Amino acid sequence: MKEAKKKKKPETSIGVSISALGAFSVYLITGLFLAVGFWVIRNIYFVDLISDPSLTLRLLWIIEFPIVVVIYSLFRRNPEKCSYFRAVGRSIVGLISGALINAFGAVSLGAPIGMQSLPKTIHWSFLMSVFTVVPASAVFGASWTDWHRVFASLKPTGNVEYMILIPAYGAIIGGWFGAWPMPLDWERPWQEWPICVCYGAIGGYIVGQMVSLSLMILLRKHKILKLA
Amino acid sequence: MTTAAMTCTRLTIFTVAGILLQIIGLSIFVFGFFPVKPTLSGVSGSESYRDPFCDSSLISNESELHHPAKLRLLYQELSGISSKYDRLILMVIDGLPAEFVLGKDGKPPEKVLKESMPYTQSLLANGDAIGYHAKAAPPTVTMPRLKAMVSGAIGGFLDVAFNFNTQALLDDNILGQFFRIGWKMVMLGDETWLKLFPGLFMRHDGVSSFFVKDTVQVDRNVSRHLPDELNSDDWNLLILHYLGLDHVGHTGGRNSPLMPAKLKEMDDIVRTMHLRAMMDRSHDQGQTLLIIVSDHGMTENGNHGGSSYEETDSLMLFIGLNSNISDYASATNNVAFQVDLAPTLALLFGVPIPKNNVGVLVPGTLCSLRDFEQLRALELNSWQLLRLMLAQIQSSSFPRVSCNCFLDGTCEGLDLDISECSGDKEKQLICLFRNAAALHGIWKSKKSTESSSTMEDFSRALDAYNTFLKTASEWLASKTTEKPVLLLGLGVSAMLLSCFICGTVFLSLFKEVYHEPKDRVCSLSNLLNLEEVFIFALLLILVISMGSSSMVEEEHYIWHFMVSTFHLLLLFKTAKSFKISKGMNILRDFKFGSIFSLLISGRLLRGWHQGGVNWTYLPDISKWLVQGGSGYVKWIQLISIILVIGLGLYTLFRTGSNRKGVRILAFGFSTCGFLVLLHVGRYQDELSTGFGATVTVKVIYYLLSISSIGASLVLPWSALNKDKSFLAEVGDCLYLIGSAYILCWCLLQQLLQQPINSGPILLLLLQILAILCLSSSDFQVNEWVEITALYYMGMAGHFALGNSNTLATIDVAGAFIGISSHSTILSGILMFMITYASPMLFLLSLVMYIGANLRNHSNSTISTHRETSLGQILKLKLGFPCLVPLCINSILLTAYTVVLLLMRNHLFVWSVFSPKYLYVCATTLCTYIGVCIVAATVTYTFYVTTFLRSNRTRHNNS
Repeated sequence: MKEAKKKKKPETSIGVSISALGAFSVYLITGLFLAVGFWVIRNIYFVDLISDPSLTLRLLWIIEFPIVVVIYSLFRRNPEKCSYFRAVGRSIVGLISGALINAFGAVSLGAPIGMQSLPKTIHWSFLMSVFTVVPASAVFGASWTDWHRVFASLKPTGNVEYMILIPAYGAIIGGWFGAWPMPLDWERPWQEWPICVCYGAIGGYIVGQMVSLSLMILLRKHKILKLA
Repeated sequence: MTTAAMTCTRLTIFTVAGILLQIIGLSIFVFGFFPVKPTLSGVSGSESYRDPFCDSSLISNESELHHPAKLRLLYQELSGISSKYDRLILMVIDGLPAEFVLGKDGKPPEKVLKESMPYTQSLLANGDAIGYHAKAAPPTVTMPRLKAMVSGAIGGFLDVAFNFNTQALLDDNILGQFFRIGWKMVMLGDETWLKLFPGLFMRHDGVSSFFVKDTVQVDRNVSRHLPDELNSDDWNLLILHYLGLDHVGHTGGRNSPLMPAKLKEMDDIVRTMHLRAMMDRSHDQGQTLLIIVSDHGMTENGNHGGSSYEETDSLMLFIGLNSNISDYASATNNVAFQVDLAPTLALLFGVPIPKNNVGVLVPGTLCSLRDFEQLRALELNSWQLLRLMLAQIQSSSFPRVSCNCFLDGTCEGLDLDISECSGDKEKQLICLFRNAAALHGIWKSKKSTESSSTMEDFSRALDAYNTFLKTASEWLASKTTEKPVLLLGLGVSAMLLSCFICGTVFLSLFKEVYHEPKDRVCSLSNLLNLEEVFIFALLLILVISMGSSSMVEEEHYIWHFMVSTFHLLLLFKTAKSFKISKGMNILRDFKFGSIFSLLISGRLLRGWHQGGVNWTYLPDISKWLVQGGSGYVKWIQLISIILVIGLGLYTLFRTGSNRKGVRILAFGFSTCGFLVLLHVGRYQDELSTGFGATVTVKVIYYLLSISSIGASLVLPWSALNKDKSFLAEVGDCLYLIGSAYILCWCLLQQLLQQPINSGPILLLLLQILAILCLSSSDFQVNEWVEITALYYMGMAGHFALGNSNTLATIDVAGAFIGISSHSTILSGILMFMITYASPMLFLLSLVMYIGANLRNHSNSTISTHRETSLGQILKLKLGFPCLVPLCINSILLTAYTVVLLLMRNHLFVWSVFSPKYLYVCATTLCTYIGVCIVAATVTYTFYVTTFLRSNRTRHNNS
C-alpha cells in the first residue's frame, strides 16, 4: 500500500491537472451538450423522453459520449506512455463494459426484462455508462488500483478525480431515488421505466457536478490555509 | 457498561413481559378498532309497525303471547300491506359476479357467458326478471356476506377471522322472523347456513365447502333433492346454496373452461324452478317469488375477500315480480346494496324488518304494490332506520318530539314547512324524515277527500322517502365504524410501551455486544458503515411508506427494491475489500458468487409474481409458465423439489460429521422428498382429492414432523466429539438442527404451495444458503445487520410467493391438502403456513445462523475466556439474535397501528389499511412462533451439551 502511494504521487503530477475554473468549463461544455441533445431530440426528431424513451436515450448518449471522451482523454494518466487515441479507444471499451454493469444493476433492482423494454434498458445503461464509467476509463485505463482507490475506497486525490467520482455517484444515487415514484398510482406517463430513473440520474449528475465544484473550491482554500 | 449488564434471566423476563404487553395491547386495539357487536339487541316485533316516537312499552312483550299463525295475522294487519307471495325460493350461487349475468356499464355480458345462460337471459329480456348489481361490503367472504343478506347489517370486519368457525347468528335476521311466523324452511347447499341457523330448517342437506377442487359433486348433492322439494308443498322458504361456481373460480379463475358449463347448469336449475314452482302454481294458490343472489364476486384469478369491483359486484335477481319492465337495459342496469335484500324480503312477506338493518327497500320491487302500500312500506323502512339512528344519536342533540306529530303537524320546536335540509348530518336526517312524513300525511289527507290530483303528491312523498332512506342508510353504514376512544388509546399506549421496553432491552444488549473487547476492532472501523445506515433508513422508509395507500397496495416493490439495494451494497463492500495483489482468493470467489446468486435469485423472485393491485396484468414468470402449458410447471416443480432435497442433504453433510443420526435424518428426508415427488406426480392433477392422496400427504406430515422434532431432540445427545471446544460442538449441532428445520420446511412448502410456487421456494432456500455462506466467510458485517437482512429477505420472499396486502391472495385451496375431515383449526394452521412460508423459513434459518456463528467464533474469541457462564453466552449468542426480529416487528406493528388510527377516516380504511393490519398482526404471530422455536431449540441444545460435558468430565475424573 505504501509503495503504491509513493508511486502515485509522481504519476498525478505527470497527469494533466485542472483548476476549479477549468472543471467548471468542462461541466459547462458537457451540460451544454446534454442540452443540445435535448434540443435536437425535441426540434428535429419531434419526440421526447416520455413519447419515445429509447430513441431519446440513444440520441442523448450518442451526442454526449464523444464530448465526454474528447474532454476526459485530455486528463489521461501517463500522457507520455499512453497516446490520446489509446485513451479514446479504452473509453469505448469502458462504455460497453460500463453499460453492462449498469444494466446488471438496474435489472437486479427490478428493471423490467422483456422485448419492449430491452432497447430502453440498453440505451439507458449506455447513458449511465457515459456518466459514470467512461470518464474514469478514459483517465485511468485498466489501472485497478486507481479504480479501487477512487470508487471503492472513496479517496480521490486531485481535481480530476473529484470530477470523475462525485458526478458518477451523483448519477447513480439520483437514479436510485428516481425509481421511487414508480410504484405510486398517480398514473402519470413519466412513471414508466426508465423515464423517471433517467430524470433522477441526470439530476443527480448535475448535483454531483455542483458538489464536486464546491468541494474543489473549499479544499483549495483549505490547502492554501494549511500552507499559510 | 457494568451497570447495564443484564443477566440472562432478567433479559428473558423483560422480553417476555414486553411481548405479553404487546399482545394485550394488540388485542385491546383490535377489539376496539374493528366493530364486533351490532348496536341494537333484541328482535323486531309488532312495535316496528308504530311510529318510533310513540310509546311502545305497552306492546313490547306481545309477540311472546302469540301463536305463529296469529302473529302472522297481527303483522299483516299492522303493516297494512297485503303480501302477494306465500313462498320464497332463495337461490344463492356462491361467487357469481353480477357481470356474468347482467353485463357491465350497460353492455351485455360476454357472448360465451350470455349463451350459457339462455333461460335467465330470456327472462331478463321478457321483463319477467329484474337484476341488480348488489354491491357487497368487504370482506367478500361467504359467511359475513350471508349474515349481511339476512340481517341487513354490515358486519364487523373481523367476521372474516371467524369465517372458518361459523357460529349461530344471534342478531335479529329475516330467517328468524320467518321462523317466528311459523314458516317451514328447507335448506340445501352450503352448510354455513346450518351453522348460522341451527334448528331453523325443517329439512336440510348441507354440503361442505371443504373440497375446493370438487366442482361437480358439490352441486349435484344440492340438485338431487330439487325435484322432490318442488313437488312437495309443505315449505315456505327454500334455500339453495350452490358452491360449485366458487370452486370453479378458485381452481381456474374467471375464464376457467369449466365456467360456461357451470353457468349452464345453474341456468337449467333456474329454468326448472321457474317452470315447476312458479308457472304451475301461480293460478290456484299464492305466488312464489324466486330470488337469485350471489354472496360475492371474484377476481380474475377467482379469488375473493377484498373490495375491488370484481369482488364486490354480486348479483340480486328477482324472478316473478309482476313489474312492468320490458326492455333488457332497464332489467339489467340497476344498482343496489347487498344489505337491501333483508328489508325487501321483510316488507314483501309481511314480517318486521330486522333491527340492525341498514339497507333500504329495493325500488324495483315496489311496482308490485299498490300506491298506499308503497308509501307504507317506505314508511316502515324509514321508521326502522330511524330507530337505529335514535340509538346512535345522543338524545341531547335530538329535539323532543311526541307521538305522531309529524303526521298531525303538532311537533314542537320544528318548523313545519317543507324546506331544504342543511346543517349537520343528524339534523339533516331528521329534517329529511320530517319532510317525507309530512308529505305522506298530505297525500293521505288528500286521498280521503279527492282522488284525482294526488299523483303529484304521491310522487313527491315517494321521492322524499327515498331521499331520506338513501341518506340514512349511508349515514348508518358509515356510523358502524365508530370507535371507542378509551380502548384504542389503551391499546396503542400498551403497544408503545412494549415497543419501548423491547427497544431498551435491545439497546442495552447492543452496547454490551459491541463493547466486548473482541468486537472492538470490528465496531470501531465500521462505526458508521453504509449497510447499518441503510438498514436503519430502510426501517424508517417502511414506516413512512405505510401511510400511503398505494404504497401499502404495492408494498412488494419497496421490499424487493430495498433488499436488492442491500445486496448491491454488499457487493460494493466486497469489491472494496478486494485487492488484486492478493490474487483470486478462493474465499473471495465464494463471496462474489454468493452475492451474485443472491442478486439473481432475488430478481427471479421479484419477477415470479406480479403482485400488488394496480399492475397485476403485467407479464411475469408465473403467467409465462402457465401459458406455456402445464408441462413446464411440472418440470419446474420436479426440478426444484429434487434440487431442494439435494441442497438440503448437502448442507446436512457439509458439517463433515458422519454421525449415525445425520444419516438417519438424511434418510428420513429423502423418503419425504420421494413421497412429495410421488404426490406431485400422481395426485396433483386430479381435481378430487382421493383417498390415496390424503394418505400420502398424511404420511409426509408425520414423517416431516418426526424428523424435525426428532432432530432437535436427539441430535444434541449424540454429540461425542471430544476434540472440539464446547461452543464449536454446540455450533455444529445447531447448524445440523437448523438445516434439518429448513429442509423440512421447504419440503412441506413444496407440498402445500401451488405448483407454480415451487420455483420460488427453491430460490429462497438458495438465498438462505448464500447469506449463510457470506456470513461464515469472515464478512465484517455486523450481526444485527445480517439478522435484519434475513428478516427483510423473508418479507421480500413473502411477496415473491404471490402474497399481497389484500385478503384475496390467500391460498384457500392449499389449506385442505391432506385433511380428511373438516377441521377449522387444522386448515387454519395450514393456511397460515402457506401464507407465511417465507418469513418462517428465514426465522428458522436463524438456528442455522446461530450455529454457524458459534462455530466461527469458537476458535478465535470465546475460547480465551472460557469461564463465561452459560447464561452470558446464551444472552449474547441467542438473546441478541432473537431480539432483532422481535424489535423490528414491534416497531413495524406499533407504527402501523398508529397509521391505522390516523387513517380511520380514510376512504380506503376498510379495503386497504385494515387487511394490511390483519397481515401485520399475522406477521407478528409468525415472528413470535419463529423466535420461540429458535429460542427453545438453542437453549435445549446448550443445556444438553453442558450436561453431557459435565458428565464426561466426571467420568474422566473418576
